[in-house]
Amino acid sequence: MISRREFLQSTTIVGTSLCIPEFLSKTAKATGNANNPGNSDTILVVIQLTGGNDGLNTVIPFNDPQYYKLRPTLALKEAQVKKLNDQIGLHPALNALHGLWEKKALGVIQGVGYPNPSQSHFRSMDIWHTASLADGVSEGWLGKSLKSIRQGAFHVASKNETTPLAMMGAPARVPTLTSLSDFQLKVPEGPLAQLQKQIIHQEVKPPANSNITVANDSNSQKSNPASLLDFVRKTSWNTYLSSDRLQELGKSYTPKVSYPGLNVNPLADRLKICAQLIEAGLGARILFVSIDNFDTHANQGGANGTHANLLRQLSEAISAFYLDMEARGHGKRLLIMTFSEFGRRAAENGSKGTDHGSAAPMFLVGGKIKNEIIGKHPSLTETPLGNLQHHTDFRQIYATILDRWLGVSSKEVLGESFAPVACL
Amino acid sequence: MSAIHLKSEIDPSFAWAPYEPGKTNPWTKAKVGHFYNRAAFGANWNELQEGFDLGPQKLVDRFIHPEEKQQKKIKDFYVRSNAQMRTLQKLLDINQCSAWWLSRMRQSPSPLQEKMALFWHNHFATSFAKVGNIGYMLGQYQTMHEHALGDFVQLLQAISKDPAMLIWLDTITSEKGKPNENYARELMELFSLGIGHYTEMDIRQAARAFTGWRVKDKKGVFEAKNHDDGEKTVFGKKGKFQGEQIVYLCLEQKACAEFLVRKFIRYFISEDLQLSEKSLSALIESLANQFRRDYRIDRCIETILRSNLFYSPLAYRQRIKSPVDFTVGMARTLESALGSLTLAETVELLGQNLFRPPSVKGWDGGTAWLNGQTILFRNQFANTMCKSRQPSALIANSKPKEDTGNSNLESPNLDWSTASPLPYILASKYQRHSLPEQKDFFFQLFFQGDLSPETRNHIDQFAEQLRNPDYPAHWSERHRQEYASISLCYQFLTLPEYQLN
Repeated sequence: MISRREFLQSTTIVGTSLCIPEFLSKTAKATGNANNPGNSDTILVVIQLTGGNDGLNTVIPFNDPQYYKLRPTLALKEAQVKKLNDQIGLHPALNALHGLWEKKALGVIQGVGYPNPSQSHFRSMDIWHTASLADGVSEGWLGKSLKSIRQGAFHVASKNETTPLAMMGAPARVPTLTSLSDFQLKVPEGPLAQLQKQIIHQEVKPPANSNITVANDSNSQKSNPASLLDFVRKTSWNTYLSSDRLQELGKSYTPKVSYPGLNVNPLADRLKICAQLIEAGLGARILFVSIDNFDTHANQGGANGTHANLLRQLSEAISAFYLDMEARGHGKRLLIMTFSEFGRRAAENGSKGTDHGSAAPMFLVGGKIKNEIIGKHPSLTETPLGNLQHHTDFRQIYATILDRWLGVSSKEVLGESFAPVACL
Repeated sequence: MSAIHLKSEIDPSFAWAPYEPGKTNPWTKAKVGHFYNRAAFGANWNELQEGFDLGPQKLVDRFIHPEEKQQKKIKDFYVRSNAQMRTLQKLLDINQCSAWWLSRMRQSPSPLQEKMALFWHNHFATSFAKVGNIGYMLGQYQTMHEHALGDFVQLLQAISKDPAMLIWLDTITSEKGKPNENYARELMELFSLGIGHYTEMDIRQAARAFTGWRVKDKKGVFEAKNHDDGEKTVFGKKGKFQGEQIVYLCLEQKACAEFLVRKFIRYFISEDLQLSEKSLSALIESLANQFRRDYRIDRCIETILRSNLFYSPLAYRQRIKSPVDFTVGMARTLESALGSLTLAETVELLGQNLFRPPSVKGWDGGTAWLNGQTILFRNQFANTMCKSRQPSALIANSKPKEDTGNSNLESPNLDWSTASPLPYILASKYQRHSLPEQKDFFFQLFFQGDLSPETRNHIDQFAEQLRNPDYPAHWSERHRQEYASISLCYQFLTLPEYQLN
């Protein structure tokens, strides 16, 4: 019979730090900065507005009489909008974002989309996540960029969310977490608790010949029938190692600015976790969060109501998060990007709501963004099938962020070259 | 299970032919476990034995063509369960509804019907978050339950007039001159055809046909005054169509049966079938030709459950357990009396909140179920299950009489002196007392003896350490035995193989 000591020695995970996902064993380089992409510690936070945000009632051409014809019950009046210039204003619920505009930390890109837009939520979302118009792509633009960055990423989620397609294709499956305190492996309490934890680690340890940092996320590989079990092993392995590290964090985090109250604004709660992950210096470079319910087919409201409440959540969450990070000296490291799968039809429908559309604006927030309105507002009269037309391909913005912010070759990630946009 | 070797090409007529046990591919308990994982929500100890004794074809008969005696049992069960539902409508708590459904999955003598109701809930994914009415949500569940193994034509027509669906996809606000496209789009994209089998113009035209539906007196009603009765062109056909005719037009499309069959295969066989696209298409086409003839769901599922493909390595442990499979399965296998409200809270944490799917597309399923957080929550649930204490009387009766969502442990008549952790009393019930006996028992119960030698070796080593650890001096002998059962059982439930169905 082997002794416990021998057993511990044979199964211990101590001493296998070479297998730990690379980013967890590194601390962030304090000296890096956004002027030197690729060798830096720049951070990208992507915020997804799920359901198709009504861009026309987000960034509003309040001087265009056609706007009021298209939106008889939903339009915002000139006196209500938060003006960015004498043509364009933000929805009044975006007051906090307007504050960032005045601090020169907000950029607005208008008329973003892609050719032959799909009006299916799911197809269009896949297109934005994979940055490809092709069918059946199983890797996302962020996952692919992690192959070169070789540092970490997190998906900070609500309970109902699964790992975004955008994060697929990363060297190790990107961990999703919903709260720091729940992110740990618990075992029955007793004399063998420590040993049991180690064996549970051991059970999912990938075989020595499979290098986890290059092995692919096996989301849809049609290779060998054992791959599903391998997938479970790799995902568990990465989770257990990450959870060990995260237990040290967040216990005494006090934000520098006040966030909206707990559970009042779930997006703000998730961004606060992002703030903790960033402040902890784990070296995580990409974070992904979502806010749902933008599919406003009926009764979406004008200055108040469903859509306004969503925009207010978005705006207050982003503002608190950015100001907190800025106060901690991360402002110039941070870039926040918002996107939605599509905008909505130019004209409102009979249900005081809006049906699926196409082109829409995006927001960029950060200490190094261009504090400008980029591109003109899409025409409200030239609207094929009632849809706003895009003039900027979203992949141009991805390319700009990849090349100029994350320091990753956009051509490698996107498969072709896109003209950069002067947003950074 | 590896007795038949299927390559990346497979002959559809062989794949869908009924499996017949033979010397090279015998009927085993692993196959019984597989059947119960897919057609029900896992097997307990006695069901493994019964299923083994019945053999594959009689086992399917029991699920799809129950004998008279069984039919009566099913009927009685649903009469009682439906009476509970009426109370639920007054409670106004959607979590209680979720618990109620989970308790049906745990106890129903017709589990395949619940399994298919869950399939349809995912297919016609509708959320209480927008519908906001418990009666409508339960009403939609009843419709899906009624037709779960019935006629797809009737199901699709009923869903198109279902109050929860009319609200969920905005048909109630769609009217002549101002059609709302939401339902027409999802009918084609998600409910019947799949993307690529319709045009944007088909959707806009079909949306006009669905104008005029409202919810009145808890029912979907058609109001001619709000309906656009003009001519529409859908799939190249012209007519003054109403919604019902659009549904028939969808059902007439060749893509419809194929779309549904592909989803059945994902649900019962594998979400990522290791076959060439050509071979997969041939499989789908072959079964779709059967399904299209009468749109009988039960006949199609019956073919699948009897088939060679179903019992092949292409299917065996080739699905990730959904949160419902994971929690209900564990509760059934361990014969737990833990209240279903705890299960409802758990499936929510694990990402499968019943009556509140994330979007009209339903849950992504497959590998999407597992991410860092959900793996840790799954382990925590296993830990809770292993540590939960119940009197042995409850386990002897095997099934809780009335699951009201709360724990069954509150009954005043129970003898608490016999209360012990679940794995300990379960092993005792089946006379497995020593540690090696318990180890073998859990190995058979959860995995029907099928684990790799390496994994078995790890478990053996852990069990070896459990024989005589440095227990705190104040731990009683009973305390020590209970700890050994709990931690041994937990070790099995955290194996990566346990995540697979």
